[in-house]
Amino acid sequence: MQPTPTEYIRQTRESYEKLGFEPYQWFHAEDEPQLAPLKKPLSESKLGLISTAGTYVQGQVAYYYKDDTSVRAIPNDTPVKDIRFSHIMENYLVEARQDPCTVFPLEALTELESDGTIGELAGHYFSCMGGIYSKNRVINELIPNLEKAVLEEQLDLLLLIPL
Amino acid sequence: MCLIARHFESLGLPTLILGSAMDILVAGKPPRATFVNYPLGFESGRFRDKTDQLAVVREALKGFAELSSPAIVPMNFEWQAGWDMLHEREKGKLDQRSPRTTEPQYQTEDDRLAAEG
Repeated sequence: MQPTPTEYIRQTRESYEKLGFEPYQWFHAEDEPQLAPLKKPLSESKLGLISTAGTYVQGQVAYYYKDDTSVRAIPNDTPVKDIRFSHIMENYLVEARQDPCTVFPLEALTELESDGTIGELAGHYFSCMGGIYSKNRVINELIPNLEKAVLEEQLDLLLLIPL
Repeated sequence: MCLIARHFESLGLPTLILGSAMDILVAGKPPRATFVNYPLGFESGRFRDKTDQLAVVREALKGFAELSSPAIVPMNFEWQAGWDMLHEREKGKLDQRSPRTTEPQYQTEDDRLAAEG
């Protein structure tokens, strides 16, 4: 039997209250999402990836933890040993720093392209640091930064992996 | 991540979230999402288990074809040893956040030297 899904919002609210912090404002959607139709199947599509795990490549500038809204482009042939993470909740990345593919699936995506499951991979994947406290900065800075980067890749499908 | 997904869908680009925090996904009403009930930090599979990582990502990607209306689909993966590992490490810790500063936080000192060259 699967364990009950962890209540991250309640746990975080309770621990912040005990510590005297302002509550973290999780995004609560009010309206139903739109779905863009698929133009072609995955096996004929170009797939991109965004990770919010604070992924960067050795040699790039790391993220800072106070509302960093910048984006890193990560070439899809980056050696796994060069993948790094910096994220305000780095306690969740102890193992990922030893095996980055637990949260940034470079190897799995390459294999799925090789076996024909995925038509083509984006030349660059993208990452940002997901622990941004200001929803306004997510909307006005982070999302435009991601949009500019992602649209240049001319993708058919986009996989999103949050931390 | 739900905000990001919703934005790209509005631009006409289909998205799929592979997430492991069900309550955060539910709150954000994502367009298409698959849920893997592993601890945070293992959204794309178990530690040092390439077979599991490939299986998780392969299964998640099926969501593109299978979901024609908004949904969060739980996937059938279990990893009790992963939960045990995390619970042991986090026992008694209340504040897990790193300090919020505007200094880049490198994983290693070598990374800082490589970036600052």
